[in-house]
Amino acid sequence: MTLLTTRPGEIGLLAAGAIRSALVKATDQANISSYIEGQSPLAWSDISDAGWDLVGVTEDDESATLRDLVEIAKAWGEITVQLPLLTTIMAKRHSARAAEHDGPVTFSIPTQALAAGTGMVPFGHIAHMHMVADFTSDTSSLVAVQSLTSDIFAPSLRAAHSSHITTFTAEAAREISVVWAAEGSGIAKRAVADAVTYAKQRMQFGKPIGSFQAVKHHLSNAHMDAEQAETAAVWGSLDPTNAHRSAVYSLDLSIRAVELAIQVHGGIGFTWEMGLHFYLRHLITLREMVTGLGDHA
Amino acid sequence: MPTTQERNAREVFTSAARVWLQENVPARWRENRGSLSEKETDEIRHEWDRQLHRGGFAGLSLPKEFGGQGLSMVEEVIFHDLAAQAQAPDGLARIGRILTAPSLIGHGTDEQLARFLPKILNGDEIWCQGFSEPNAGSDLAGVSCRAVKVDGGYLISGRKTWTSFAKMAHRCLLLAQTDPSAPRHKNLTMFLLDMKQPGVNISPIKQASGLTHFAEVQFDDVFVSDADRVSTEGSGWKVAMTTLMNERGGVEATSRYVEIRSDMDLLLATLGDRPDLRKQLDELDIRVELVHWQVSKAVDLELDSPDFFRATSILKLLWSELWQETSILGLENMTPETSDHWRLQYLETRASSIYSGSNEIQRNIISERVLGLPR
Ligand SMILES: Cc1cc2nc3c(=O)[nH]c(=O)nc-3n(C[C@H](O)[C@H](O)[C@H](O)COP(=O)(O)OP(=O)(O)OC[C@H]3O[C@@H](n4cnc5c(N)ncnc54)[C@H](O)[C@@H]3O)c2cc1C
Repeated sequence: MTLLTTRPGEIGLLAAGAIRSALVKATDQANISSYIEGQSPLAWSDISDAGWDLVGVTEDDESATLRDLVEIAKAWGEITVQLPLLTTIMAKRHSARAAEHDGPVTFSIPTQALAAGTGMVPFGHIAHMHMVADFTSDTSSLVAVQSLTSDIFAPSLRAAHSSHITTFTAEAAREISVVWAAEGSGIAKRAVADAVTYAKQRMQFGKPIGSFQAVKHHLSNAHMDAEQAETAAVWGSLDPTNAHRSAVYSLDLSIRAVELAIQVHGGIGFTWEMGLHFYLRHLITLREMVTGLGDHA
Repeated sequence: MPTTQERNAREVFTSAARVWLQENVPARWRENRGSLSEKETDEIRHEWDRQLHRGGFAGLSLPKEFGGQGLSMVEEVIFHDLAAQAQAPDGLARIGRILTAPSLIGHGTDEQLARFLPKILNGDEIWCQGFSEPNAGSDLAGVSCRAVKVDGGYLISGRKTWTSFAKMAHRCLLLAQTDPSAPRHKNLTMFLLDMKQPGVNISPIKQASGLTHFAEVQFDDVFVSDADRVSTEGSGWKVAMTTLMNERGGVEATSRYVEIRSDMDLLLATLGDRPDLRKQLDELDIRVELVHWQVSKAVDLELDSPDFFRATSILKLLWSELWQETSILGLENMTPETSDHWRLQYLETRASSIYSGSNEIQRNIISERVLGLPR
């Protein structure tokens, strides 16, 4: 086995850093519930003007590696906004027609929750979205998304159902799975950080709840889950044969981390306004889609 | 062992209950449960309270003179088992029936029992539980909602939160502070507060699942008469302990069993032929039945005995975690037909390890009070 590094390359670090600061600036620490059902705090043009949607496209033999994309997706997950950056990056990386298209792109994935012949289209509910019809063909055009119904379960994904289903190459399916797992690990990391902050502030019995061992153990476990979720995505990015199964497992771990974050918040964690459920909804939908990609990956 | 006479009586009860349930569970509930609106669900549940009363099945283990059936926990268990099979709804009177009624039986006056129990049992009055506050959740003894003595009663001021059923409740079982200078656990009093009066302001809180079953309730100088105080001033903590024992106890568990059984049946009906899930389904199915058997075992023990507490103290942990796991399995293996149900149920059951006292607190209780570990 050749010695390889698990670290991302320069482009991954650069892009992740830039995207993270753009997100921090746009959201200004706001709780996800304050913006996720309305307008995105970040404009699509802020992303596309900087060219981040093309970061995965190979040019002059130079391109971000999947490991780089993992770094970017993780940063993206840490501050969730309702923009189709990751689907666009992956569509443009794997479809020449998508790369030529000036605007966000997505794809349609069959899932177990949908009737046969129907696909889940993340961000399909956004106006003027286009999706890749066929990743295996360089000539087939993009199709304008015509949604049957919108899927409101995860507001952050603006998903729709479509009767058109994208054909995936094995590589595209695998890489999309890994990138979503990485995004999920960013979400998990954020949820754990929020729960830790809360546990230091919330007082019961005259002490911060974070001083109770039961709470400490929950948070340590959630930290383990988030940490391993990221590791699984990194593994997947460097080892194609294990990519899909590590991605599914990674999302399982991220979901568990968010469940624990909710538990640590007590009653307030179960409110719409506290917003932790938006993370859970997002992760669950990602897992449905990644599972759906399993037939191709 | 039950006597022959008792056994016969139970058999008669069982067949009567079975027939009644078959004839009375609304088909609309049985068939469309997953797709009913919140309003329709509430209507069916409220009507169910009245149906139970008309049928003679309301308050099985509560005294006859107050509208109960004067039977025992055994009949509660039998009935809920049958109700689970018949996919019966759960009434809205649950707080009144499961929490207020036993708290009053333990600590209330005959006059209070006569005034409140019949209306709880016939479905006329819905109750809510005003215990938790923004700063007093797990640390319930820290409630700061004030009850100030005035002529003929008290004026209540303060804020309660996470109050389930608040928007439809007629009455509130309210824990308030009567004496700020008294030591912890001696400064509280329990009241039976009329929710339909000026000064009670209810702001619904939307839950993670999207439903709005709980609310924040602000009280501004709301009057409650001396006659609606439970037991003596300063005894509120003791009364609250009775309430909590019941909230985490057998009747609550049997009623949860009905709901979990119905989810389990859905899992079996939709995934029962999946060889890869056989072991998991089988284990969950066993655990669902063990909740039922754990209660059955407990009801045959002496109330107030250490054995009874040993047996019942694990119930809330059993059903709450089991319910989360059945939902997770459903969610992970949902089909187009079941996806709405499992998505909702998964989010809803996130709360089961938080409400009725968090599972961390319940584990603290077991470790300290059952196992005797140092605090
Ligand atoms: C759906 C729902 C319905 C509810 N309905 C009602 C109702 O009708 N009436 C009512 O009065 N209340 C109701 N509650 C409130 C519920 O009882 C409280 O949420 C619960 O007691 C926890 O309190 P808290 O939310 O303040 O969390 P906190 O007490 O702040 O707890 C936060 C976290 O810290 C942990 N923790 C706290 N103290 C300790 C400790 N000593 N050791 C270990 N861990 C600890 C908790 O377990 C939890 O994980 C409801 C809650 C929910 C979610």
